[in-house]
Amino acid sequence: MRSWLNKLGLDTLTNRTILLMLIGIGVVHLASLYAYQLALDRDASIASDVRLADRLLTIKRAVMRVAPLERETVAHELSGGPIEAHWSRAEHAIAGGPGSAEWENLRARIQELAPELTSGQIVIGSNRKLERDPHLALISLQLPDESWVNVSVFSKLTPPSSSHGTVLSTSLMALGVIGFAILLVRWMTRPLRTFADAARRLYQGSDQARVPEEGPREVRELAAAFNEMQARIKRLIDDRTHALAAVSHDLKTPITRLRLKTESLKDASLATSISSDLSEMEEMLDQTLAYLRGERTDEDMRALDLVALVQTLVDDAMDAGSTISFSAPARLALEGRPLALKRAIGNLIDNALKYGMRARLTLSSDAGMARLVIDDDGPGIPADDLKRAFEPFQRLEQSRNKDTGGFGLGLTIARTILNGHGGAIALANRAEGGLSVTVTMPVKAADGTKIS
Amino acid sequence: MLLPTSSVERSPRILIVDDDGQIRQLLAGFLRENGFGVALARDGVEMRQAVLAENFDLIVLDLMLPGAGGLDLCRELRRTSSVPVIMLTAKGDDTDRIVGLEVGADDYLAKPFNPRELLARIKAVLRRSSGGSAEPALARQGFGFDGWRVDVLRRELINPDGVLVDLSGGEFELMLAFLESPNRILSRDWLLEATRNRAGDVFDRSIDVLVSRLRRKIEQGGYGIEVIKTVRGAGYLFMPKVTRA
Repeated sequence: MRSWLNKLGLDTLTNRTILLMLIGIGVVHLASLYAYQLALDRDASIASDVRLADRLLTIKRAVMRVAPLERETVAHELSGGPIEAHWSRAEHAIAGGPGSAEWENLRARIQELAPELTSGQIVIGSNRKLERDPHLALISLQLPDESWVNVSVFSKLTPPSSSHGTVLSTSLMALGVIGFAILLVRWMTRPLRTFADAARRLYQGSDQARVPEEGPREVRELAAAFNEMQARIKRLIDDRTHALAAVSHDLKTPITRLRLKTESLKDASLATSISSDLSEMEEMLDQTLAYLRGERTDEDMRALDLVALVQTLVDDAMDAGSTISFSAPARLALEGRPLALKRAIGNLIDNALKYGMRARLTLSSDAGMARLVIDDDGPGIPADDLKRAFEPFQRLEQSRNKDTGGFGLGLTIARTILNGHGGAIALANRAEGGLSVTVTMPVKAADGTKIS
Repeated sequence: MLLPTSSVERSPRILIVDDDGQIRQLLAGFLRENGFGVALARDGVEMRQAVLAENFDLIVLDLMLPGAGGLDLCRELRRTSSVPVIMLTAKGDDTDRIVGLEVGADDYLAKPFNPRELLARIKAVLRRSSGGSAEPALARQGFGFDGWRVDVLRRELINPDGVLVDLSGGEFELMLAFLESPNRILSRDWLLEATRNRAGDVFDRSIDVLVSRLRRKIEQGGYGIEVIKTVRGAGYLFMPKVTRA
């Protein structure tokens, strides 16, 4: 039901209301027109019977008075309009046949309206000589000398109907009502659109997304309830975010102490081992805080050289003993947030090295877009999991089962940061095996130095 | 001739201002082991007393202090003294860092920091401040050469087009060592001493690798100039004319 309504473009409240009103107005309009026409018809048929009876009486009297030789001429002279009269020795009409009930009706009415006509026989029926025609009634009146006047009536003698005017005025009224209804429905549903916008803004993490509490009482109540709900959700999210941030933050002091304590350890290998554990904890805290920060950032966009930025990350990885290569143009300047970009790309490099052993980075720019491809030689990600990979806390354990540290925020954070730069990340499994991560972002070099 | 701090006769005196007792004690022990004289302060009140009583070579100041915060204390210090300050920020947020630098800190380090990293920063700041002791701290903020700019506080290198060129910690220290002694041949040992102990360089990357990385970022950035010249058997020479800003 919904699908075909939608296909017809009737998925909005406005359109559905208009459709309902159209159907309603149409039904009422047709019904009243029908009733009106019915009454009109009855009046018209009475009027025409009276006139028919008058004409018949006139013709009969006139023909009766003249000699038989002139009767045909007189009858002819009295013809006119829908009526044609002839004189003859025998009647032309035959009673009975398919329309007999109607003829009998007509005969009764005529006799009632002009009692004088009943002095002779009246036969109403179809023309004996012609084919039967429903629009043609033949009335044969018997004169006192047993001869007949045959009167053909071609159609009902009805005055022209005024129904065209009625239809026009009713249609105008309907149009007016529909126009008004569109305005009314739009006005009534405007708060609903405001609600939808507000709900979306809340989802995007905006602080102020209150709906104005105005309009009809029902809408005011809905707005108030909506605002309350929104405030509750926001409080809930804020509380949890603050709690997590506070924990992450407070852990920094004990970690600092532990770092200082390891400096006094005699066992150098133990100190190194503890130190690397601490680094891992620190990294997890940093990632958590970065994730909680989401798109909120106080870092400004500025012109930076993406090549140098990635080069630093690659050199660091190389110093840590990783197998990593980087091919890039001499420079690639774009507008970005250096710390955020370093975190995003650093996360992607870390993933490639953790899961894919080796990482190959290729940076290029084409048609105003910088493109960084990071290939690894790991197991890749099963096709079903590719989309899920960006969800927070997903580690896709089944396929990437190495003990890796971190807890599944790397890709989420990277995507948030790159989206904030108008860029995107795409994951794909390489045909040769391994994962290929492609980062694209617009090059809006402030100084126009797009060097290839 | 500029020499690394280890050759200075009197051991440098450092004031540590932190409200966490354990961190204060541990840090004091660590710095003493590494040849520094250390005094401790818990908050702004104790810091003011200590500063009045003695001339320190450097102050390590925690940003999050009870009472007057680290930012206010740093601003206050700067009104009367040019003693080098290293800020310990807890948040690691960019804003804290920048604000800390704007109130006159000479360097910053986010908690939880690696003690060796702090040691390296202390040595670097001491080396810089002893080099130009006549100048007030805020004047040591930048260098320029061939259209490039170096912001010491923010640890940033900006190319002639105004584009930020990212450097690693080691590369930046090497850059500073060159900028402080331009047009002079610097030996590998000297450069190693000036750049060692950085957290990112635990592997003691050879100076040659570090120089080649720095060269790549400056010289191959499409400008086609030779900035660092290798002097066979002697070391390296930073060629451009350096201006201080």
